[in-house]
Amino acid sequence: MTLALAIAHHRFGLGPRPGDLTDRDPEAWLLSQIDPAAAQVSGGSLNSTKDALTDMQGLRNHRAALRSGNLGPEAQAALETMLNASRNSLIQDVRTRTEHGVRTAAPFAERWTRFWANHFTVAATRAETIGLVGPYEREAIRPHVFGRFGTLLEEAVLHPGMLFYLDNHRSFGPSTRLAKRLGRSLNENLAREVLELHTLGVDGGYTQVDVEALARALTGWLPFQPMSLRRKMTGKDVFVSQAHEPGAKTLLGKRYKRDGAGQVKAMLADLAEHPATARHIATKIARHFLSDTPDAGDVAALQRSFLTSGGDLAALAQTLIKRPGALETPFQKVKTPEELMLATARALGPQAAFSKMQRVVQGFAQRPFGAPSPAGWPDTADAWMSPDALAKRVDWASSVARQSKAKPDDFVAAALGPLADDSLNLAIARAESRAQGLTLAIMSPAFQRR
Amino acid sequence: MLTSRRIFLAGLGAATVLKSTGASRAAGPRPKLILIILRGGMDGLTAIAPITDPHINTLRPHLVPKNAIALGGGFAAHPALKTWAGWAKGGQAGFIHAIAGPYRDRSHFKAQDLLETGADAVPGRDGWLARALERRPGLSALSIGPAQPLILKGAQNASSWSPAVVAPASDDTLMRLASLYADDKLLRAALEKAVETNAVAGEMGGAMRQGGFGAAGAIKAQMAGAGRLLKAQDGPDIAVIDIDGWDTHGGQINRLGRMLTALDDGLATLKSELGIMWQSSAITIVSEFGRTVRDNGGGGTDHGTGGLALLAGGQIKPGQHGDWPGLSSRALYDNRDLAPANDMYALFSGLLTDLYGFDSADLRAVFGPLTPRPISIAV
Repeated sequence: MTLALAIAHHRFGLGPRPGDLTDRDPEAWLLSQIDPAAAQVSGGSLNSTKDALTDMQGLRNHRAALRSGNLGPEAQAALETMLNASRNSLIQDVRTRTEHGVRTAAPFAERWTRFWANHFTVAATRAETIGLVGPYEREAIRPHVFGRFGTLLEEAVLHPGMLFYLDNHRSFGPSTRLAKRLGRSLNENLAREVLELHTLGVDGGYTQVDVEALARALTGWLPFQPMSLRRKMTGKDVFVSQAHEPGAKTLLGKRYKRDGAGQVKAMLADLAEHPATARHIATKIARHFLSDTPDAGDVAALQRSFLTSGGDLAALAQTLIKRPGALETPFQKVKTPEELMLATARALGPQAAFSKMQRVVQGFAQRPFGAPSPAGWPDTADAWMSPDALAKRVDWASSVARQSKAKPDDFVAAALGPLADDSLNLAIARAESRAQGLTLAIMSPAFQRR
Repeated sequence: MLTSRRIFLAGLGAATVLKSTGASRAAGPRPKLILIILRGGMDGLTAIAPITDPHINTLRPHLVPKNAIALGGGFAAHPALKTWAGWAKGGQAGFIHAIAGPYRDRSHFKAQDLLETGADAVPGRDGWLARALERRPGLSALSIGPAQPLILKGAQNASSWSPAVVAPASDDTLMRLASLYADDKLLRAALEKAVETNAVAGEMGGAMRQGGFGAAGAIKAQMAGAGRLLKAQDGPDIAVIDIDGWDTHGGQINRLGRMLTALDDGLATLKSELGIMWQSSAITIVSEFGRTVRDNGGGGTDHGTGGLALLAGGQIKPGQHGDWPGLSSRALYDNRDLAPANDMYALFSGLLTDLYGFDSADLRAVFGPLTPRPISIAV
């Protein structure tokens, strides 16, 4: 039982904390976390989407005023403060997210949440998204990860963070007067990624015609009102009908007559239930939690669950946990750098120097909210276990170990329990220093894998 | 500060120091103690080989260094220690062979904990150097590295500093990982390739991982930082530097050669950073224990007993100090280790006495019932 529990903690969670490897039913423990409340994160004064957009609007107004020369010298200082505001809110979100990962007693809910946040990546890699990535994850992703996939899809795709990240704020219905006045046209970036990454998958059977149709339906979903409309950003109500390409559109052979804001929602609802989407999601789930080369039976079972439940993500999580072999070794996957950092911090206990640890891990790997592309962080070992990556992991582990006062034996008992084999115990007993023993424990196959 | 220095001198108990240098040193800068701890158990018989001992070539035929630098008295330094050997010849470096604390059971962790807390069986709660600082509130200490070592635990007047670069994991750690990865094809392949790439880059003079797998860069950065900080106005009196990677169970010739080279380069850096402070410095390099006299059949040696202390700096009396038990089968400890002929705590006591004027009451406050007769190593 303890072995299965240790496996559950590593494969489906974020690694055990001291005392977590007690005698309890691993499956029941995982199932108990399939609960929308368990996927929430709380942190004192985090910005909402509305706050972030208000800040951005304030910045735009202030800049315009500065340009017109109406303001005194103190206005320049105020500009600096405003510029820093979004960055500071990002720092708050990174800290809250990391501490939640280190402390949460529902680590499966957190892993599941992070899977979906990665599936619907919005990265803080452009000025407009810096202040929005945190609110996006907390408002568009977390509340819906155990709900219907269709809801999650709509919330994610139409959130201002995503609209900025994938250029929908630059996309205007080509035949609209607004587009002509602003010299704008269609931008298909978001539409293409919705089909390729979020729903059907690259081989999901769509064509360029479908991309354009979805892009046209998405026009009007602007994260703020264009300046020329002389209206302010309105927060969540982000549809600007003057920018929307009017008329019926055909996606995947189906005609969507109803126009306006609801048009793309109807398209997304159908995409959410498409068999290709089910296969794409099932494959990604199996690849993330079970194996880089997932077993066909696992993928088929997840796909069936997704289709028969109408995209019920709670049912999907249950199916995953109940797969034969889900709580057995061998581990097939390598932890990502972020997972490694969190698992190490969790095992070392709350006194560990998270921020230091994180600073180092950021140097070699996954900056929170910093995925390199809309496809999110890669999810297979070839991306994370190159010779250079391994060298950096060893250096990182060694530096963490040197800063820690933890005894290697305690770490192994807390973090691995029955997963520690004789060769690891022997290597630790023979280590030349505590720090080396701890380095070896962190770098052991049992701890590197999941 | 000078006032407190005089107070120390007034309390001096060890006649040797008072007679020879007490008066003159009172006017100069306060002495600097730089304590370097080599973790893992350095093979002292490789670093300073007793080349004329009749048994060495039969006991460890493959581990006697070639081209060793003769030091006189039957000893020769490993060629990697060329800087240190130059100092020894110039009268500014010395050594004590066959030295050990009271512990005999050969566990790294325990031996290090005892060495640092100044205990014999159960590690103490605080470091002996911290207790020493308590006796001389005017003194301050600094540890070089990310975490404060046990030797300074409990000290009020101690800080720590570490180079900005992440010190890379040691060669030794990588070797141990290789054996952990025996059954994990993916991790093993990545590790092998990483080591290989790094070695090639090193040979070609290319950019290696920060400091390289050999850790030479990291050691140099530690030494440079220590030297600069010690030399600074109001800098610390004492520095403690940790260097990992001395547990050579296999591949000893190459690995120890690289480590000694890195140490020697680091010492050269330390001296140049210390500048004129070199004259006031006593560099003391110790390890938790020595290694078996015989090689273990795997190109290495196992945990032993009697080790080596290397000394350098303007304050050091040159040559060999203490007793030399020899390598005859009668002399070996447990028929395997260099005998512990000299007491590590006597060396530490000697340093405190010579440099900071500790008397026997001071020493008892530091080492309690284990207080030895100090070995005097200062000029």
